[in-house]
Amino acid sequence: MTSPPKEYMRRIKPFSFLTEDELNLLVENLDVEAYEKGTTIVKKGKQSKYIFLVFSGVVGLYDDDTLVDTISKGEIFGILSAITGNPFSLSAVAMDDTICYRIKKEAFKKVFETNPKFSAFFSTFINRRFRSFTNLLKETEGTFQEEIYLTRVKEIVSKEPVVCKPDATVEEAAEVMLEKNVGSIIVVEEGKPVGILTDHDLKKVLISGNKAAKVTEFMNSPVISVDEEQPVFEAYLTLINKGINYIVVVSDGKVKGVITSKDILTQFEPSSSLIALYRKIRKANTIDELKNHLKGIRKAVAGLAIKGVHFYELSRMITSVYDSTVVRVIRMIEDEFRQKGIDLPDYVWIHVGSSGRKEQIIATDQDNCLIHDGDGKVMLSFAERVNEALDHVGIPKCTANYMASNPKWNLTLSEWKKNFKEWFNSLTGENIRYLSVFLDLRPIYGNQKLYLALLDYVKRSVTNQAIRFLALDATSIEPPVGFFGVKGLEKGLDIKLYGIYPIANGVRVLALDNKILDVTNTKERIEKLRNLDVLSEERAREVLESYEFLQELRLKHQSMSISAGGEGDNIIRLDEIDRIDAYVLKEALKIVSSFQNFIRGKYRIEGGF
Amino acid sequence: MNLREARFSVIDLETTGLNLLKDEILSIAIVPMKGTKILAGESYYTFVKPETYDLKSMKIHGIDPKTLEKAPKFSKIAEEVKKKIGDSVIVGHAVEIDFDFLKKAFKAEGIELKNKCIDIALLEKWLSDRLGERKCTADLSLDSLIRDYNLSVRFRHDALADAFLTAQIFQIQLLKLMKYGLTSLERVLSIIESTKMTRIDFIF
Repeated sequence: MTSPPKEYMRRIKPFSFLTEDELNLLVENLDVEAYEKGTTIVKKGKQSKYIFLVFSGVVGLYDDDTLVDTISKGEIFGILSAITGNPFSLSAVAMDDTICYRIKKEAFKKVFETNPKFSAFFSTFINRRFRSFTNLLKETEGTFQEEIYLTRVKEIVSKEPVVCKPDATVEEAAEVMLEKNVGSIIVVEEGKPVGILTDHDLKKVLISGNKAAKVTEFMNSPVISVDEEQPVFEAYLTLINKGINYIVVVSDGKVKGVITSKDILTQFEPSSSLIALYRKIRKANTIDELKNHLKGIRKAVAGLAIKGVHFYELSRMITSVYDSTVVRVIRMIEDEFRQKGIDLPDYVWIHVGSSGRKEQIIATDQDNCLIHDGDGKVMLSFAERVNEALDHVGIPKCTANYMASNPKWNLTLSEWKKNFKEWFNSLTGENIRYLSVFLDLRPIYGNQKLYLALLDYVKRSVTNQAIRFLALDATSIEPPVGFFGVKGLEKGLDIKLYGIYPIANGVRVLALDNKILDVTNTKERIEKLRNLDVLSEERAREVLESYEFLQELRLKHQSMSISAGGEGDNIIRLDEIDRIDAYVLKEALKIVSSFQNFIRGKYRIEGGF
Repeated sequence: MNLREARFSVIDLETTGLNLLKDEILSIAIVPMKGTKILAGESYYTFVKPETYDLKSMKIHGIDPKTLEKAPKFSKIAEEVKKKIGDSVIVGHAVEIDFDFLKKAFKAEGIELKNKCIDIALLEKWLSDRLGERKCTADLSLDSLIRDYNLSVRFRHDALADAFLTAQIFQIQLLKLMKYGLTSLERVLSIIESTKMTRIDFIF
């Protein structure tokens, strides 16, 4: 008999160690409760009858009024209290509408005491949790305070100031504000700010009804300002103390810009900073504005990863940020060409490789190409400009030169078709490498028809021999898992080479064979292959989980390195990961091995050709 | 009665077909709820051996005919099911059909069921009309509700799984109702009644 709670729990790590009977015992003692946002689930100092597994929503753990940690989907709280019998040391409050699976603590304790693997996991888990509690506290406080002290105001002013003269009318000022999409305008006389007019003041005008009045009549004066060399913290204090929303930034008494408390908070709160970034990018008008916005992205991503945002969520967010940056840049360059009177033919800008798969996270670079149906020369100079501009805003050029500015990858539809035909039929090492890059193609901007036509051609012209060669390639590098664990982990193991690539490549082979190339993301491909019964439920789940785990391990590793000012590589060493991760890494690599065997069997490449 | 105090029985049946006159119950799943709390541990699930239906001809269900051969007849479990349901409100997806089958089976045992019913599809329609979250013509099948409520599961559904998923949907609907200021059971029941009247445009 399958019951959803059981199936759900079975997939969450510690519960996966349980026997059927033990799981049944927990499910017999389980209920599901929904908490409205703001409800206190357990109060500090109280006993609870349950341990809680968060099914959806977010729970905040509070020490009186201080938020200590958040618990989200798939995480558990209340274990320590259930095992020791001590009251809750923190209050648990639903921060959003939250649904929890609640297991009676007697049943939980019973399983805990009888299953050594289960309890070993929890003991480590509890220790780690507590360590990360304190670390997290230190980290967030540390970084927030440090950064807000160290960062200077000028570093977070990203826009040119929006100004008007004192004799402007309110209507004129409002028009400018609307056009520039800002909430305030600075009234300037001889470069010096004499007042500020904000959205709030415009409401007053609306009521008084006189939009022909001079701005000086409604502006706030004198202007409250901060010197651009001051630490951001000073500006923040001023904003709070004066109870205002906008503060004018000056240098030598001259206007440099405006910042809001939102600007400051988003700068220092990593999760909202990505969203804010996305919004800013969509609004950016010049390449340099884009560059300013993107500056903080690597640190923001690293911060989020360290805080535990999952790979799939994070990669989705990053992909939208980068995609919209690319689209903004392309549009700007298009304008540039149009102004010069140069006509561009129909074309489509395409991302390939990991960017095509929507799997770029921190160490990201450009992987692009384009299909056009016109003048190759014009498109080449256009692509050169785009690649340069992207490099300038902070998406570095591809070292392997997989870029649209490379004449090899800036082609008409029929030239692209010829490429694929050649690659599929002459399976040299180089061509196999091209295929593994260009089979993950995702249109970003332009005429989709060109992309669809190419995709259709690729699906029709793929050969069985090509699929077998790609399968051989995907299984040629085997993870070094031996009887006693992962070999070479002490010295360092390249998890991209031995874990991530074998999965992504193997999945691509299956995707190609089943003609689902329009899906490029590895996770989505696996899900699709599962739905087509190419992968069994069991294998799909295992591979998905391993892939996520490996990507997350890599992400955490790179984030740590970047937070410490490094560049981030893919080499994981035993001493940097804890027991659970080492254990899971071994399991994940075993799954990679088994997946490779599956591919070998399916394409009959046991022992090569 | 306050919704938080109300007792619900979320049910799902598997039957040999949809014809009340000749089809029979093959399995019954009941997931009890108290207010917004799903009492998963008190779930009930049983197969039922049909009276006249030829088990050999059965194909559609994932149920093994041998299991049904060994299962109790409805008369053997009627009392237990009645006790489980009590005077709670019956909740289900397109629950009227299931409830009709139950009523018929109980009638054969000389028991009359008088429970009130809430159909989560109707409730969803009402909620979406009121809260404007979904187009009224949108698909209200259980599968798409499961998807919309982010409850997708990857294994084959049996009656118990469907009943549980229905309970999870109903749980979130209850939260929405309470947020909307509707906290009385009687009010919700009358909403369901009035929604039934206008369900000509109702698409499953």
